[in-house]
Amino acid sequence: MYCNQRPEKPGAKKEMLKKINNMARANSLWVTAYGTGCGAIELRPLGTSRFDMERFGIAMRPTPRQADVLIISGYLATKTLKRVIRVYEQIQDPKYIIALGSCTINGGMYFDSYNTLNMLDKYLPVDVYVMGCMPRPEAVIDGFSLLMQKIKDGRAQGWKHYKENLDYYRENQMKIITDWDLPDYNW
Amino acid sequence: MIDKTRKELEIRFPLLKVVREMHNYLHIKVEKASAMDAIVMAKTSLGFKTLQLISSVDRIEDEVFQMTWILENYSSKTVLLISADYPRENCIVPSLSDIWPAASAFEREIFEMFGISFPGNPREGEDFLLEGWKDIPPMRKDFLTEEYSMKLYGERQPREHLDPRQYIGDIVGEWNTPMGKKRKEEK
Repeated sequence: MYCNQRPEKPGAKKEMLKKINNMARANSLWVTAYGTGCGAIELRPLGTSRFDMERFGIAMRPTPRQADVLIISGYLATKTLKRVIRVYEQIQDPKYIIALGSCTINGGMYFDSYNTLNMLDKYLPVDVYVMGCMPRPEAVIDGFSLLMQKIKDGRAQGWKHYKENLDYYRENQMKIITDWDLPDYNW
Repeated sequence: MIDKTRKELEIRFPLLKVVREMHNYLHIKVEKASAMDAIVMAKTSLGFKTLQLISSVDRIEDEVFQMTWILENYSSKTVLLISADYPRENCIVPSLSDIWPAASAFEREIFEMFGISFPGNPREGEDFLLEGWKDIPPMRKDFLTEEYSMKLYGERQPREHLDPRQYIGDIVGEWNTPMGKKRKEEK
């Protein structure tokens, strides 16, 4: 059971309502518990008492349907990208992506690997990059606070960009995933 | 303990070479025709009942694949490595999945990564790690991984690098640093 229609454009809202919405969204970021690479290890201390991400209203959710944020934690193989696309498209709007580590920026130490993609923003819209190899939990919290600021200012529009440029992203995704067997639209 | 194993193997296979021997570890190299006999003998009469790993090395300079079977004897805590060279063109190696069912997984991985075929493996040719791979197998030495990565995933243009000496000139001078003085004296 999948949708067979292209994504719709969200309707225009009043400026005042937008601000209230954005403030509410920024203070309750729920994260899909999905680790793609080595960075998933750095996310575990975030949830525990030393770094305690719940004081910012950030919580881990078991399913993409309940979440707003997808964290791409470290290197991303083409095989994983297929699953990540499916997870990302099933998250309800609005949705944000945080990419950790130098692997997602330019390939990092896996720049010449046959199976690790080099630039994540060709395949999925990234709102915040956190640099490091791997970033410590403090840096991840810094990335989250940057994302909160972007949402409050109304600048975290990656999900809208993905909807409007779906053909561009699909073309890039299909170029590297040779056995494409996903449905056209996953929402 | 390992002496006894080596002596028994040497009686049966007079052509074997001992690559390395330690108190609980023996690495031997046999002809490819007698590799399977050696493995069966190690399992049935020498007590090496566990298959730990099957590995392959692409030695392109000798035009061979060096296969290594790592066996372990838990009762005497000794490890036996049996190596054999197989020609690189249309490489065919007998399957061990009748003797150890676990060998099937190792052989599928080697088939995918090196293109070595194992006739007799019931699950040969199924996808193991790579999905929809169409190029030559990626762990072969003649697979150019950096070229492949640049072609498929692209390369992010690096940030412009500015050399300060170009703008402010060589103020300190090459010989004014402690290392430079030392080098000057040597000259």
